[in-house]
Amino acid sequence: MDEISKWEQFQLSFELFRDPILCALVAGGVLGFLSVYVVLRRMVFVSAAVTHSAGLGVALAFFVDIHLGLSVDPMLGATILSVIATLLLMLDPARLKLTRESMLGLAFAFAGGAAVLVGDRIAQEAHDIQGILFGTAVLVTPENLYTVAGVGGAILLLQLWWYRGFTFVSFDRVGATVQGLPVRMLDAVLMMSIGIMVGVSARALGSLPVFAFSTLSAIAALVLDFRLGWTFLLATLFGCISGVGGYLFAFFYDFPVGGSQTVLASVLVLLTALLRGGLNLLDPTR
Amino acid sequence: MKTDDPPKPGETSAAPQLPPGELLVSCEELAVGYGETPMLPAFNLKIYKGSFVSVVGRNGSGKSTWFKTLLGMIPPVSGRVVKHRPELKWSYVPQTVGIDTILPMRPKEMVIWGRLSGWNFLRPFSTSQERKLAEEAIDTAGARSFAHRPYRELSEGQKQRALLARVIASQAELVLLDEPTAAMDAVAEQETMKRLVRLARDQNMAVVVVSHDLELAARHADVLVFLDRETPSIIVGDAQTVFCSHAFRHQYGDEYCARAKSGSPLGHTHG
Repeated sequence: MDEISKWEQFQLSFELFRDPILCALVAGGVLGFLSVYVVLRRMVFVSAAVTHSAGLGVALAFFVDIHLGLSVDPMLGATILSVIATLLLMLDPARLKLTRESMLGLAFAFAGGAAVLVGDRIAQEAHDIQGILFGTAVLVTPENLYTVAGVGGAILLLQLWWYRGFTFVSFDRVGATVQGLPVRMLDAVLMMSIGIMVGVSARALGSLPVFAFSTLSAIAALVLDFRLGWTFLLATLFGCISGVGGYLFAFFYDFPVGGSQTVLASVLVLLTALLRGGLNLLDPTR
Repeated sequence: MKTDDPPKPGETSAAPQLPPGELLVSCEELAVGYGETPMLPAFNLKIYKGSFVSVVGRNGSGKSTWFKTLLGMIPPVSGRVVKHRPELKWSYVPQTVGIDTILPMRPKEMVIWGRLSGWNFLRPFSTSQERKLAEEAIDTAGARSFAHRPYRELSEGQKQRALLARVIASQAELVLLDEPTAAMDAVAEQETMKRLVRLARDQNMAVVVVSHDLELAARHADVLVFLDRETPSIIVGDAQTVFCSHAFRHQYGDEYCARAKSGSPLGHTHG
């Protein structure tokens, strides 16, 4: 009996893979768009701390379900913890005589350590915890997809609508303040957009690929050194490619999904750096 | 603490030598500083449309703090800043421009930000009128030749011209510039100051500029403001009033006073 090829397997079982692929496409695209703010505002470690907090949120959701009998959707747990972490990181650390880096270190270490402790008490869900931290598309349910698509779509729409305000406030805060823009409100909405998107995506895809989408997509786009508008567009595209391409790579070569998506996002950075190098050779004035 | 005489508080006004334009902002018994400790004595100042005000003083004399107080970014220790128009349009170019060099922006994209104010970002696209104003501002500021080049690749003088274009596009009535010529050579510095003077005259904007070049400041300004934390004093007036004040001579010597009285050029004198 002939063994069917991977491609045939993929075609035959496409319905099984459709939701995870669509989820990776939407999450990768929206996080890719937001990653431009994360990188240009030098908030890469904010993204790391928030994704870790999302992981803790999922672990806590399992914990309260198992030990307290309270049914909490892990995606809700991830989102709540992401939002709390985002809100805490928005506070002015100078009031506590601390630097932003100190707060980030605290949030990152606490969320990671607490996730391990909580995970230790929910051993029967260990597989899920692994999935949360490193990503596995098996966890993507239709409900996960609808949530990621709904939240992601709303965030992307808001980002496009308020694009002029978000960019001005993000990249010239003083100028925006003087010209009377509602700087704090715009900042808060932007940070909450990042926190919420990280939260819902971390449950569906895992913390590691979410961190990759929310940082590496912009890095790959920025290396190309196009105008700001193009940078946003390319980062969105690179996020989509990393999400979907990583999933397909994992399927065809039997690798873990989250790791594949993360490595592909990194490879895109290398490819764009090579492309930029080539363009620089052709145009030495740059 | 004291404020040198003359002028007396309440008698100082940053009006052009021509008939004064509309009164935009008044500092009324304003004392600036952080927390409850004033850095400088309280003072009065009126800023009119079309006037050019130069602010001079040593590093750390409180110039930036005064600017931030004017802009409402930090509260006054005492006194108040009165805006005589509820919808007064400001523009500010800080000492260290907060535009990160990793940002992939071109001057053309930055200039259009000048048209944003209040909540008009809710309109997702700039109007054709806004784009036209931005284009005209690029030409007026002399930034056309590098409008499409990455901001980080520009010289300091070009960066300032790009920011100046944004200020022009904003159609602000009052513009505050904190050491816009700090990183420029003498030629670029002179050109920039001339552009700023033209901006005040042609666009009828009030321009308040911090400068360390005393000669340029004295030559172009309608009014000089000298800040000194050491004495501590604020002197407001023409070049002779400021340069011949006790506080100024304490910091810079008698030479400037003598030259201001004789009317001889000061040469390049960085303070």
